Amino acid sequence: MKRVRHLLEYALVRTALAIFDAAPLRACLCLSAGLANLYFLLDRRRRRTAIDNILQAGIRPTASGARRLARASFRHFAALVVESLKAPSCLTGTNWRERIDMHLPPALQSLLDEPSRGVILATGHVGNWEIAAQALSFVKPIVAIARPLNNPYVNRLMTRRTPDARFRVTPKRDADMRRLMKFLAEGNMLAMMIDQHAQKRGMMVDFFGRPASTHTAVALLPLVTRLPLCFGCCIRTGPMRYTVHAVGPIPVERTGDKDEDIARLLRRLNEELEAVIRRFPEQYLWSHRRWRPAPPAQSDTH
Amino acid sequence: MTREEVIATLKDVIRRAAPGALDPDAVSGDSTIEALGFDSLSLLDLAYDVQQAFGVEIDMETFMALRTVNDLVDALASRTRS
Repeated sequence: MKRVRHLLEYALVRTALAIFDAAPLRACLCLSAGLANLYFLLDRRRRRTAIDNILQAGIRPTASGARRLARASFRHFAALVVESLKAPSCLTGTNWRERIDMHLPPALQSLLDEPSRGVILATGHVGNWEIAAQALSFVKPIVAIARPLNNPYVNRLMTRRTPDARFRVTPKRDADMRRLMKFLAEGNMLAMMIDQHAQKRGMMVDFFGRPASTHTAVALLPLVTRLPLCFGCCIRTGPMRYTVHAVGPIPVERTGDKDEDIARLLRRLNEELEAVIRRFPEQYLWSHRRWRPAPPAQSDTH
Repeated sequence: MTREEVIATLKDVIRRAAPGALDPDAVSGDSTIEALGFDSLSLLDLAYDVQQAFGVEIDMETFMALRTVNDLVDALASRTRS
């Protein structure tokens, strides 16, 4: 039964992709906005999660304002999907600068220009993280960790659509730390999402003033390897137009107190992410369940 | 630092890194890092603790090649000698 469902989904996705590939970008964006509005009405659970997250984060003071922002966020996510699918054919090594402005601090630019230097990039579900990875891969080869899609047929299809050797995606289940460190040792950039719920293995760190279970690897890696850590994201400024914002290298202090060293870095990264979200709140994935009850294994908040 | 001192310090590190999860006294040179209960993620914790305890840095290539406690002891012994 599951296989039949997966095959049906695969057929739907193939059809949608064929339409998106053939249709002009603006038409695809209009269609995706309509579908996003419909999805917003139909998926009550995600809609409520998004509105609740916006209110709790203090981004909008009223329920009606939060609802408007949540709908805008759904539309942004639909545009993200469309433009990410279109990007391999629209963005090339020769034209990407016409569509993407890069604002990198000179110190970070120098690091990215060193071919043998590994760099750790922290980012979040804001703007377009797919385009961010593709854009940065033109500057330095990049490896991103991603959770495979539940449907193996669709997953294979989507993997085949990003054949660029400079932008590799490694499945989360295969993200063995030795492999990741090898990528870094080879001079790649390693992109890691900092706003995914880390369950009981994470450290509780404030995000918009509320404790959220946060993965620690993004902080431990620079502490252990002494490789530079930066934060970056790719903000949408128009149809297939983006600006990359980045800060770094972020100072990494080693005091010998491991938990405090990790917490300090995670707090700093969350602050950077919050600042971007406050500027572009409609471009954040508010429907994600970032804040969940503290896991039983750890209840302290840093 | 002698090899025995390295192993003794290492047992302390393991005891702190994974309290209650394993018996540090059962650690032998042939124990694999994975067998000690360190998975992909906690390996980074171990690396941090080892660097702090011994005051040395283990470069990425060496760290990636570590498979057993003996490998780690050799890497540390060579660095604490130099």
